[in-house]
Amino acid sequence: MATIRFKNVQHAYPPPKGQEPVYALKEVNQIWEDGGAYALLGPSGCGKTTLLNTISGLLTPSEGEVYFDDQDVTNLPTSERRIAQVFQFPVVYDTMTVFDNLAFPLRNRGMEETAVKQRVDQIAEMLDLTANLNKRASGLTADGKQKISLGRGLVRSDVNAILFDEPLTVIDPHLKWQLRSKLKELHQQTGITMIYVTHDQVEALTFANKVVVMYDGAVVQVGTPVELFNRPNHKFVGYFIGSPGMNFLPCRIDGGQPVFHNIPLNTAYPVGSDLSGNIEVGIRPEFVEFADDGIPVIIEKIEDLGRYQVITVKHESEVIKMVVDEGHLIPTESPKIQFNPNQTRIYCDDWVVGGSSNE
Amino acid sequence: MIHPRKWLVPALYILFLMLPIYGLLAMSFKTTGEILGGFSFFPQQFTLANYKVIFTDPTWYNGYINSIIYVVINTVISVSVALPAAYAFSRYRFLGDKHLFFWLLTNRMAPPAVFALPFFQLYSAIGLFDTHIAVALAHCLFNIPLTVWILEGFMSGIPKELDETAYLDGYSFSRFFIRIFIPTIAAGIGVAMFFCFMYSWVELLLAKTLTSVDAKPIAATMTRTASSSGYELGLLAAAGSLTIIPGAVVIYFVRNYIAKGFALGRV
Repeated sequence: MATIRFKNVQHAYPPPKGQEPVYALKEVNQIWEDGGAYALLGPSGCGKTTLLNTISGLLTPSEGEVYFDDQDVTNLPTSERRIAQVFQFPVVYDTMTVFDNLAFPLRNRGMEETAVKQRVDQIAEMLDLTANLNKRASGLTADGKQKISLGRGLVRSDVNAILFDEPLTVIDPHLKWQLRSKLKELHQQTGITMIYVTHDQVEALTFANKVVVMYDGAVVQVGTPVELFNRPNHKFVGYFIGSPGMNFLPCRIDGGQPVFHNIPLNTAYPVGSDLSGNIEVGIRPEFVEFADDGIPVIIEKIEDLGRYQVITVKHESEVIKMVVDEGHLIPTESPKIQFNPNQTRIYCDDWVVGGSSNE
Repeated sequence: MIHPRKWLVPALYILFLMLPIYGLLAMSFKTTGEILGGFSFFPQQFTLANYKVIFTDPTWYNGYINSIIYVVINTVISVSVALPAAYAFSRYRFLGDKHLFFWLLTNRMAPPAVFALPFFQLYSAIGLFDTHIAVALAHCLFNIPLTVWILEGFMSGIPKELDETAYLDGYSFSRFFIRIFIPTIAAGIGVAMFFCFMYSWVELLLAKTLTSVDAKPIAATMTRTASSSGYELGLLAAAGSLTIIPGAVVIYFVRNYIAKGFALGRV
């Protein structure tokens, strides 16, 4: 058990000949609290796996240090870090039985055989593997194998953290849900730090109490699901979290308030007039509504999704999406829309400005 | 619809393949006089005398023993050297890795005769001439590249997460390599050993050039067609028949894995 701390961690993979190195991780400073359930969310190729591998020591970062509590572990080999990691695709030791696979990490640490048996039985029970314990691991189906991988990650109780690298990709949807709640349950029982990599926002938001959003090798925001929804720090978070994603419209600033196509808008978070760069106003579709006065729009498309409907409207060439409750009246003649000022944010060069981060 | 004579073509094919082997086998049970006298499909005077000579005359049976010794030495050296090399090629990127990997293959592009003279001179100079290790080392020149290629193919089929999981589970590299990795690619090692064995067993030129008496292989012994007692064709046929057996035994053990090796395109 330890707090994991990243200090200026950067990593570049060796570049192809004659090219500049591309940084897979750009200067990450991050503290993973002991006992937290984190989800690491981001698109493919944003450096999520690289980040995990730096924690487990499979990768030594090109710059910066990794600390477990106060110990600098940057150059400590993987086998001495007490980290469990589960990969996206099942990894089993084909030559062993399921029981031996699960017992392997425990036996390697010199645990007594009776204790090993007890622990393995417990984990097998939880993952529904009891019937297969004496079978050879190579004969199982893909999701059976992945359950072994998961079990091997969970079987040790002395680990500093358990890292999951999209572990449920190969698992059936109904089982996926079940296993995820088991993981969550286990986290509550044991209090081991868990870091769960995914590119699925639903998975991230249901599993974690803190979500770390990565984009292009950098951590762009860390927060609870509600914080990420209400105040995206970066345009990417706005797009990525929520469905449909946040609307971004070009604007200029007049007296601290945004002006869109000569229509003044209101925000509860005014900014200084000296702002320069590419300025946009961001609003979630949930906080756009029809009004008597506001931005005149043309309705392009209405998608009925049951409890609510997603309406695509257009002002000149700008597309705005809005979410309206089922049964809400949609104006037919010259509709106008308005933004909720408390949820209207201003972004300058992709980053949010105005308002504090701990509202 | 099953064609009634579907079996005909494969049967003919196998018949043609087996014919020379049958001829050899039939000859080995004939006396030299009968062989020289004319063609007969079955041995007229069936005799086991040829085999008896081979199993009792040291100049004959030592040939087999010598061949087996250097083939085994060669197989052991090739596989133990190629395992770490193939691992490096499959897991690490380093300067010139692809060039080196291809260069290994170019060693197989020259005929063995090219190397016979330099080997002969070198081994004579350092006193290795006419030893088993000399032939085994000479065959390594061809077998190690082949083994590296075969093993690299098999190793690249194992995800590197297996290595990583073993480290996470607390294994050091060496324990992982011996206890987990080698058992996992056992099929590949079997295929590689088979090819080492086959090449070394049938290679004649280097083996003959580098030996005279003490390490003389069976294939070299067989090249003498006549001795003080005249032609010994029956004896040669018997020796030839026996030479086929080790290969047949080895291929029986790896028959299920060979196809996998071919599928990888590495054999």
